Amino acid sequence: MFEPVFLAQQTLNGLSFGALLFLLASGLTLVFGLMRIVNMAHGAFYLLGGYIGVVIAGLTGNLLLAIITAVISVSVTAFLVEVVLLRFVRGQELPEVLLTIGISFVTADLCLAIFGGDPQNLPAAASIPGALMIGDLIYPWYRIFVIGVAVAVGIGLAIVQTRTRVGAIVRAGVDDREIISAMGVNIRWVFTGMFIVGAALAAMGGTIGSGVQSILPGVQNEVLLYALVVIIIGGLGSVAGAAVGSVLIGLIDAFAKAWIPELAYFTIFLPMALVLVLRPTGLFGRAS
Amino acid sequence: MNRRILSIALLALLVVFGFALPYFGVSNFTLSLAATVLIAAVLASSVNFLGGEGGMVSLGHGAIAAASSYAVGWASREGFNHLTQVLLALGVTLIVSFIYGVLAMRTSGIYFLMVTLAVGMLIYGLAFRLSSVTGGENGISGIDAPAAIEPEWVYYYFTLGIFVLITAGLWVVTHSPFGASLRGVRDSESRMRSLGYNVAGYRLGAFMISGFVAGTAGLLAVWHIHFVSPSSAGVERSVLLVVMVILGGIGTLLGPLIGASVVVLVENVLSSYVDRWPTLLGLIFILVILFARAGIAGSVPKLLNRLRGLRSSTGKTGDRSSPEGAPGPSSNHTP
Repeated sequence: MFEPVFLAQQTLNGLSFGALLFLLASGLTLVFGLMRIVNMAHGAFYLLGGYIGVVIAGLTGNLLLAIITAVISVSVTAFLVEVVLLRFVRGQELPEVLLTIGISFVTADLCLAIFGGDPQNLPAAASIPGALMIGDLIYPWYRIFVIGVAVAVGIGLAIVQTRTRVGAIVRAGVDDREIISAMGVNIRWVFTGMFIVGAALAAMGGTIGSGVQSILPGVQNEVLLYALVVIIIGGLGSVAGAAVGSVLIGLIDAFAKAWIPELAYFTIFLPMALVLVLRPTGLFGRAS
Repeated sequence: MNRRILSIALLALLVVFGFALPYFGVSNFTLSLAATVLIAAVLASSVNFLGGEGGMVSLGHGAIAAASSYAVGWASREGFNHLTQVLLALGVTLIVSFIYGVLAMRTSGIYFLMVTLAVGMLIYGLAFRLSSVTGGENGISGIDAPAAIEPEWVYYYFTLGIFVLITAGLWVVTHSPFGASLRGVRDSESRMRSLGYNVAGYRLGAFMISGFVAGTAGLLAVWHIHFVSPSSAGVERSVLLVVMVILGGIGTLLGPLIGASVVVLVENVLSSYVDRWPTLLGLIFILVILFARAGIAGSVPKLLNRLRGLRSSTGKTGDRSSPEGAPGPSSNHTP
């Protein structure tokens, strides 16, 4: 139970799951930070991205192609959702959330109609074969690749946010959207762009995640929930918070599943409840 | 004022119809369906009360009802009598509502939604994994109602009676000073706080009342279908409840019943004709949010007024019977 190999294995499990969570939670938290929307369709975007990725990977055997196709198709979906539906309720907190719930409903059901109800996984041909071996520790390369992708995405987001003009516009939009639109930036399209980026990250998570855990109906709610817990802990709107929260929840989940499986679900909510009671804005959140 | 009397009259008419229903010679299936609608309406009223009066839309009420159902199921499996089952369900409901309330009382709007969602999933997780108590994925079956109310038509009357009691009770609470203060908290938290009101306390109180109603619905449901499984605690259930409330018209007297009827009928009757009924339900929901935010009970009178050529703006701000859609808590903070 406490052997070094076991501990290392569970730590890696936790980190790779945390990496997947980060892909999901960073998109969710960015969209919230800028647009003040909790996108309940985020899980459905993950689901859709996962299905499309699995199908393309099955046809071509190419993981990169699968990810790109999934990201593009989900981005188009998100664009339509934002421009055709969400714009009509802009600024009204509750209708926005409820609308995304409706979108999630429809998307998930159409996914069931198109892709069926059987669990689907990334085909082995598109996955990364082999495993890392250090002494007794054997760990699949694919999961290490997932961690790498999340780290790369995290660094990329941080650079874009702090070093580029686009990032500056987004940060300004978070702080004061009236001033930034008065300065000649069309904030509506910044919103649209951010919504698409969030959805694209979810789709990427879906395709990459299908190599770790099956894509099936219902998974959209599960991943959404994990992502929500992560961003509540990390602080809504904070990418750094999402990173810390993802790693924390990933590790807690991995060790809890190994040690106390009966309470596996319970354990990730304990830190959330503590954060809510002691620091309602989250670890990295700012008071509104 | 006029509209409130109208909706009470309409509700009374519906109740009379409800009492007469078994005499129309309808089948047991119809009666069972009617009971399902009534149980869903009780559960929807709990969400409606909290959302309409308190401005707190919950995505976790399905799980409160499920917790109550599980309490009954567990007690029944362990061989306790019906009184103990009811008391246990009440205890579990109150404890669960208290946990929800304490975690959620400092939040509002979207944060409240997310906290209730998360706590609801926590209960789902326990129902799913803690199989020594909950039976895991299989749930608990063979839960019998007391023999006196076991026949379909008696049980139907039982649910109808409870529905009437709950609706009347919530109406009284809504029109009490407590209800007025609650609406004050909904409309302007900072104002109520500066007037010396204990905002968190009012939120917690409202949540306990709403949780109690949800627990009652859980008890009714488990005695009706003799079975409880983790899916009853799932997010889908809670989401459907919000769909019912918004569809019917949040903050209205008739809303929960209308919304529950539409959703239950789509789920149980239309689903045998249309495969993609969740898509249909989702689309209806989206259309309602976009074009008829006040829901069916709120929009129909408005539409009728407009057809009659009257001005639809009644101008009675603060009258709970005519909310302009879902309240948006964040919009009225004046720093």
